[in-house]
Amino acid sequence: MGSWDWSIIQRCWPLMRDAAWVSVNLFAWSLVLATGLGFVLALMRMSNNRYLRWMSALYVLIFRGLPALVILFFAYFWVGRNLHLSPFQSGVVGLSVAAGAYKAEIIRAGLLAVGRGQYEASEALGLSRAHLMRRIIIPQGIRVMIPNYMSNATLLLKSTSLTSVIGITELTGRARQLANSTYKPIEILTAAGVIYLALTTVLTVSQEILERRFRLKT
Amino acid sequence: MSIDTIQEYLPIILKGFWITVRLFLWSIIFSTAGGFILALMRISSVAILRWTSGLIGWLFRGVPLLLILFYAFFALPEISRSLMFDPFWAAVVGLSIWTAAYQSEAIRSGIIAVEKGQVEASEALGMTKRYYMRRIVIPQSIRIMVPPFIGNAINTMKQTSLAAVITVPEMTLLARQIISEDFKVAEPLLALASIYLVLTTLLLMVQLGLERIFRLKV
Repeated sequence: MGSWDWSIIQRCWPLMRDAAWVSVNLFAWSLVLATGLGFVLALMRMSNNRYLRWMSALYVLIFRGLPALVILFFAYFWVGRNLHLSPFQSGVVGLSVAAGAYKAEIIRAGLLAVGRGQYEASEALGLSRAHLMRRIIIPQGIRVMIPNYMSNATLLLKSTSLTSVIGITELTGRARQLANSTYKPIEILTAAGVIYLALTTVLTVSQEILERRFRLKT
Repeated sequence: MSIDTIQEYLPIILKGFWITVRLFLWSIIFSTAGGFILALMRISSVAILRWTSGLIGWLFRGVPLLLILFYAFFALPEISRSLMFDPFWAAVVGLSIWTAAYQSEAIRSGIIAVEKGQVEASEALGMTKRYYMRRIVIPQSIRIMVPPFIGNAINTMKQTSLAAVITVPEMTLLARQIISEDFKVAEPLLALASIYLVLTTLLLMVQLGLERIFRLKV
């Protein structure tokens, strides 16, 4: 083992920083879309319409049963090529579709955790179902969802690394290229690991902040 | 796209089936042992053991598996020639360490969920810590660990697909080769997806079976 080479990290830093920014972008877009999708799926699952319930359950069953890599291959080679999406767009589609299935379960669990009495009281007060969900149940459900939602978001951040396989030069893909071209895999891969640790730690800390903000004041 | 071509590709992809299963089984064996050690360290009374275990968990849960696999495959041989593995064992090393970081949490939460009174009663009866952990606490905690443990195992099953990226000829790599050689996309991917769905569903059934076996008889 040669000695640790700081200069290589210094030289590769601009490329890695840009690649990390691509990872963050992938993460942010996928998180937004997956959350929207998860909400729709969760509300479908709780609907009175049987077909909506089944469709939502089937979606979750299938997409939780498949490796994210396989979903990304579908998104890139199949959906992406047919709709002429860029690799970045295909990546966001794949990640969102996969993460949406997990978000749906988390959001549903949060909504179900709101006490039954809240539903009954709202109905007794004559609130419509849409109004009841929007003003009473969802605001209370969010508090329950935060821990699971955030730890799932951390998983999503890490899964953005898979998009390197469909040709996106995000942090992991860039680190691999640089490791090959510089012959310094230890330094480069460790540096990438440190960046990921920093990013996931930011998410863990924001989880704690959110939990504190949403804590019940008694 | 036709059902016939899907059937034609199934046997080709199934050639990687045993490699996927072997990747999974070795990773589960090593990660269960590793997870147990990490969990026991985490609840030990020696501070340095607790910190080491916490640090390892934070490290390996904070970076993407793909990066861990690259590390195992590209960086470990640079550290020492004796750490040069063929792709299969590099994937087992990466998957095991990564899974162990998650299994340690599943195992630890199972152990600390065992009622405190059990420990107090064991101490009152003069049992040593070693003895009551082995005979009283751990047997009872297994029941509690089953769901998260199998949940992690299902993730590991899905993540064996990442071994394709470090050239292990498992199912995903074979499907990827068909895509680039035959210019067919949907058929090989659907064949691949159906095999993974069967595998993950089987694991879910194992979970239900285990939960039934370990259910408390009252």
